[in-house]
Amino acid sequence: MTAPAFVPYLLHTLFPPNTHRPTEIGADVMMGLGMGYLVYWLTRHRKWGWLWRDWLTTVDHKKIGTMYLIAAILMLFRGGVDALMMRVNLAMPHAPFIGPEEYNEVFTTHGVIMIFFMAMPFIFALFNAVIPLMIGARDVAFPRLNAVSFWLFAFAAALFNLAFVVGGAPNVGWTAYPPLTELHFNPGVGTNYLLVSLLISGIGTTITGINFLVTVLRMRAPGMTLMRMPMFAWAALNTSVLILFAFPPLTVALLMTLLDRLAHTAFFTLSHGGMPMMYVNLFWLFGHPEVYIVALPAYGVFSEVVPTFSGKRLFGYTSMVVSMAAIMVLSYGVWAHHFFTMGAGAAVNAFFGISTMLIAIPTGVKIFNWIFTMWGGRIRFTTAMLYVMGFIPTFTIGGATGMFLATVPADYQVHNSYFLVAHFHNVLIGGTVFGLLAGMYYWWPKMFGYRLDERQGKLAFWLFLIGFWITFGPQYLLGFKGMPRRMWTYPAGHGWHLLNVISTAGAFVMGAGFLVLVYNVLWSMRHGERDASGDPWNGRTLEWSLPSPAPEYNFARIPTVSSLDAWWAMKQTGQGRGRGAAALRLRPQDIHAIELPRNTGYPFFLGAAFFVLGFGLVFSWWVIALLGLAGVWAALAYAWFDHDQHKHMRADEIRRIEASMGRLPA
Amino acid sequence: MRAELQTPDPSRSTETEAGFEFLNPHFAPERFPWPQVWGYGGSLLLTGAAVYLVLLHVLPAAGLGALVLALAGGQALLQLGVFMHIRESRGPAWQILPLGLSFVIAFALVGMSIWIMTFKWGAS
Repeated sequence: MTAPAFVPYLLHTLFPPNTHRPTEIGADVMMGLGMGYLVYWLTRHRKWGWLWRDWLTTVDHKKIGTMYLIAAILMLFRGGVDALMMRVNLAMPHAPFIGPEEYNEVFTTHGVIMIFFMAMPFIFALFNAVIPLMIGARDVAFPRLNAVSFWLFAFAAALFNLAFVVGGAPNVGWTAYPPLTELHFNPGVGTNYLLVSLLISGIGTTITGINFLVTVLRMRAPGMTLMRMPMFAWAALNTSVLILFAFPPLTVALLMTLLDRLAHTAFFTLSHGGMPMMYVNLFWLFGHPEVYIVALPAYGVFSEVVPTFSGKRLFGYTSMVVSMAAIMVLSYGVWAHHFFTMGAGAAVNAFFGISTMLIAIPTGVKIFNWIFTMWGGRIRFTTAMLYVMGFIPTFTIGGATGMFLATVPADYQVHNSYFLVAHFHNVLIGGTVFGLLAGMYYWWPKMFGYRLDERQGKLAFWLFLIGFWITFGPQYLLGFKGMPRRMWTYPAGHGWHLLNVISTAGAFVMGAGFLVLVYNVLWSMRHGERDASGDPWNGRTLEWSLPSPAPEYNFARIPTVSSLDAWWAMKQTGQGRGRGAAALRLRPQDIHAIELPRNTGYPFFLGAAFFVLGFGLVFSWWVIALLGLAGVWAALAYAWFDHDQHKHMRADEIRRIEASMGRLPA
Repeated sequence: MRAELQTPDPSRSTETEAGFEFLNPHFAPERFPWPQVWGYGGSLLLTGAAVYLVLLHVLPAAGLGALVLALAGGQALLQLGVFMHIRESRGPAWQILPLGLSFVIAFALVGMSIWIMTFKWGAS
């Protein structure tokens, strides 16, 4: 019996040659085994109901934060493996490990995943985990939209990660410039995967921006004026504003590219009067604020970690607020420095060179304020604090090389070289990743109720820091030696070999750091020191007034705030003696019934429907796309008519929970 | 204050204090959203007009750019007035401050983009 004619066509479309290379088959097998074990585990322990009720339908910001964190660490793994594959290739110019096509796919995936599917969810993980707790709120402003954001992100990430299994991975670089993205030069579905998944996750990111903007502006505890907010809340506020203005240009740019590919428009097709450089302009209109979208939350983390572990209030709080707002506004006026060599003319380049240099001023203010906070303080060298201390010199050097690149004539020399690669990894790892890991170690006890082991954490830190410098130090030199970025190999006797070998060795040290980090998490799940007090670091902000992990309703009684570092003030004065729960002096009569958002499944279905819609668009299979669109409308219609959005928790139930955590006499 | 605007919570009214009427909360009454229906139609019309003006090349490039910018300004006003409830507030009109920032950023982004991209006009 012969198979119908469409079967070979379908097999060729779904599994073209670039989906069955040995590395990809290996990854497929690993993913299959992993998912198989997950299904087995869930079935064996009868956890499917638990998964659905407690996680997939949850609207609790703390659980959503945990899911973001798991996703971010998984994506850090995938992006890291991509990085190692590239580094192995570049260490062996005689016998490259992967070919040029695969190399293009690997660096594209590495960039997209690290920015959109690692840094962004990691930031939202921290926002979700602590912003409501810090400002004395019971949830975010729009809990259901928060779940929608997460599931749009999660399904978009799944769609992007599906590319190398089904249809072929994108190979256009994370910037996805035309004309390379035009159908004529890049047939196949890889580019569609990139465009569609970023469009879907962009919707989720925009909703998150709105959600945290409103949360910080409207949900603060009584007495917490704007100038009494923790710096991390300021970071969330400024990041949200950046998201709101930065993501529309990206959406427009990606959508126009998608229309060029699917509907044969010619927005960026030069031969039909299109303007490819307009894509570049739109992309960096998003791209530079995006740099600060991932940097400001890290600044926020540092501004919490440094005062806590120095035992002092933050030096120059007002100047910290002003400099962060200045960075937010200035970051909208610098994007053309990403394409100085386009040839826009001396006036444009001079303007954007100078505006770029201006950003160094508020950033310098922040660096000095962190140092002055440590000055004269009693510093505790915890893992979180070590990340700050690694960040300061690393980020300063990264900023200095950024000034180098902002100088237009110098940029003409080193742009598109490994100098640039070294610079942006210097600020994105030295700034963002160190900040996010500091935040993870700092807030982990609050999120999960136990500490991460400090010795293992410090080992991971040193491996990351030393590995980072071994990796990216030589890359600056390679840039000076003229090695361009994004090249899959080079002639062996070119003078680049030794530095590349050193760089690759450093990448493996960082890889070891990641393994220690994962081991640290797994080990601490079993053996980590339980946090009974809720305030393991002798913290300063309101989240440390709660038990670890915080109950579903966060605050049994919403606190009244009278100063900056509200929890510190409560511990020092007025509201009680001693550390931990005693300072709260919660009385049974203070506790009243609480209205909480009710769990709902529609965000999950909305995400799934967007996944189907996206899959249909990627392959131009319009029936599937329409089915997905119908699913999107069905989920939205359900949400529209679902008025039963709240549940009530009775006062005696809350008293029982508080008593079980030792917060009330039983 | 327009007659159709109402004060939902009289206890919060500060009308007795002369000159502070603008601090009163004011919200549009709830009824069938005809303004939104018209607004939606209007925004589609403005968008369609921009697309067709460019497709048909009714004017030289500079004039076309100015015309599309004018349509975009109209679109922004329409969105703010009809969908963003810009005339409603709870107490002082705090929305003016972020709105000002939005306009600064929007004009800067659009203006500087035009400036940056003019290099092509010289080349072609």
